[in-house]
Amino acid sequence: MSESDKSQERQTLVQLRNVHLSFGANHVLKGIDLKVRKGDAVSIIGPSGSGKSTLLRCINGLLTPERGEVVVGDTPVHALKSEAERIALRKRIGFVFQQYNLFPHLTVLQNVVLAPIRILGMERASAEREARELLARVCLADKDEAYPGQLSGGQQQRVAIARALAMHPELVLFDEVTSALDPETVGEVLSVIRQLVEDGMTSLLVTHEMRFAEEVSHEVVFTEGGEIVEHGTPRDIFHAPRNPRTNAFINALRN
Amino acid sequence: MPESWLPAFVVAAKSVGLNYAFLLNAFEREAWLKGVVVSVELSFLSIASSLLVGLVIATALTSERPWLARPARAFVEIIRNTPTLVQIFCAFFVLNMLVSQALGGPQNNPLTAYAWVVIVLSLHFGAYHAEALRAGIEAVPKGMRESAASLGFSRRGRLIHVELPLAFRFAWPSLINNMVDLVKATSLGSAIAVGEVTYASLMIWVNGDNVLELMIFIFLVYAALTLFVVWLGGWVEKRLRMPGYGH
Repeated sequence: MSESDKSQERQTLVQLRNVHLSFGANHVLKGIDLKVRKGDAVSIIGPSGSGKSTLLRCINGLLTPERGEVVVGDTPVHALKSEAERIALRKRIGFVFQQYNLFPHLTVLQNVVLAPIRILGMERASAEREARELLARVCLADKDEAYPGQLSGGQQQRVAIARALAMHPELVLFDEVTSALDPETVGEVLSVIRQLVEDGMTSLLVTHEMRFAEEVSHEVVFTEGGEIVEHGTPRDIFHAPRNPRTNAFINALRN
Repeated sequence: MPESWLPAFVVAAKSVGLNYAFLLNAFEREAWLKGVVVSVELSFLSIASSLLVGLVIATALTSERPWLARPARAFVEIIRNTPTLVQIFCAFFVLNMLVSQALGGPQNNPLTAYAWVVIVLSLHFGAYHAEALRAGIEAVPKGMRESAASLGFSRRGRLIHVELPLAFRFAWPSLINNMVDLVKATSLGSAIAVGEVTYASLMIWVNGDNVLELMIFIFLVYAALTLFVVWLGGWVEKRLRMPGYGH
């Protein structure tokens, strides 16, 4: 890989600067600074209620911060005013939810092709061809005609990942995607994500799977009380945290 | 031509004290059968257009735009807080006159009593449908909206592809209820001389001593119609079922 290719790869794709957001009296985000480089997987860890999911929703414009800047590529997300601008942004960003949120009235295949056909204007035939490829990639090729309600949690979550990928996103946001799953199905979802990260998909993961975060991430961010307490390589965060709060959190999980 | 079994039926009924002689009178029989046909037509026309009205009003009710939501709310409240019969009178005697005046005379007014019944029933039951659909739209889990938005759907796209298909399923049992009510409410057309089955029966029993006999027929006609609506509703419900969802 040449020098210029490398610098290309290290381009910043997501940048948050001093992001603040409150719900009523509840100050959820208190000045978040975060940078995600293209091709990187960044994991956000921290106790419940530390604003991790809220942070992800600020990146694809589901929530708008009260103060601060959110920039994705060249798009100033915090300044988007119209629905059309937000749609243009969301087309570039995949979002995978804790509760999968598949459309229960559509089959697996219909779930995956709905947005490519309606939003990207793809032909049904090519959208379906691509959807089948994606379903094969998440090992669900034989479930195309099933309805979400007929699948296990892990299978639904893999469909949700395929649905997000069908939009050809530059970036995928994963919001505690294994938290609602049975322990035995967590692994199948994580291996799909691991593969994605290895393929170079820029990923931002909110997760409670510490071992997975350590293994897969280029960078780990520890949040608590709406602030970023510490960030660094997985090695630093999990084995040599500098901040006592990070240390306490990691140790509590170990025991 | 009377069917061969008809005289036999009239004789048999006579033996248990029921007077169905009007069936042997071709004029009265045809008039009554025409009434049945009109009732069926009124029912299905009004069911179809009331569902359309319900869809539009429900969309307006749940809109974020106050200039849509507020008039829709006012419409629903006016409709469900006044009697259906009064609405039919008001439409036929007041609105119809205003339309005639605006068009320069009743001869230019294309709206018949029949049309007014369809209009009033569509709006009336449309308001009830709208409330059921609103409940359905509000029952759509927030995460469903978020995931549709994240895929790039506009508010309108979310409504068409996600919220309404789900809302329709959630609201369907209530909608069937409303439709059964609507079928029975077509009998109110008799108040402004629309020749549906109640009015046709009335025209026959004023000439003969057969109120009870015609009442029995009326009950049977409405029961058959409402049972058909319920059966059709059940069939649709089965088709719309989402495998594995909620049960």
